[in-house]
Amino acid sequence: MTPVATSDPADELAAVVALRRLADELEDAAVGRAVAAGWSWARIAETLGVSRQAVHKKHAKRRR
Amino acid sequence: MVARLTKDARAVTRTAVRLAGERGERTVEAEHLLLACDLPDLDHSTVEALLEREEEQALAVVGVSRADFDLPPRRPRETAPSFGRSAKVALERALVSARDAGDRHIDRRHVALGVLDAQEGRVPRALRLGGVDIEALRDGLSR
Repeated sequence: MTPVATSDPADELAAVVALRRLADELEDAAVGRAVAAGWSWARIAETLGVSRQAVHKKHAKRRR
Repeated sequence: MVARLTKDARAVTRTAVRLAGERGERTVEAEHLLLACDLPDLDHSTVEALLEREEEQALAVVGVSRADFDLPPRRPRETAPSFGRSAKVALERALVSARDAGDRHIDRRHVALGVLDAQEGRVPRALRLGGVDIEALRDGLSR
């Protein structure tokens, strides 16, 4: 879709906030799919550029 | 004077934590407090709709839409969300509201006023975008 033309910092910052939330959701979904596909935490971590401990802490305990 | 939360205000904060958690959020934010306040003039479903619209509009600024992504519904987290900055600030402002009014307790109205005090962030944006008269709301709550 074409972006709304704006150079208003308020709009741009609001976009950043919304994108961060969206990225967070994407990460949750993608990590979930990776785990379901048999990926190891180490492989997920390497792909995300974080430590295995970090990804484990963030995602491993999430599932109920 | 020690300002304490009324039973009702405590219920509001608990509800805010629950709402954030149900949405799979990591932090409780001011918008969750507002959702939890469920004011007669600004009820839960109205706030929900306003927040969704704000998000759509914010993403549209950079040419992104949620519909572009294959996102499953968010699932609750195992650990409860922690209080994020906007919620902490709202509660600090709620304390100030109560003190300014000479009230010894922070009630639901003060929590709502604390949230509505914010000039920037998701809540004021969502309300302004929806044409909500924030000043009128605050006046109504201050009485």
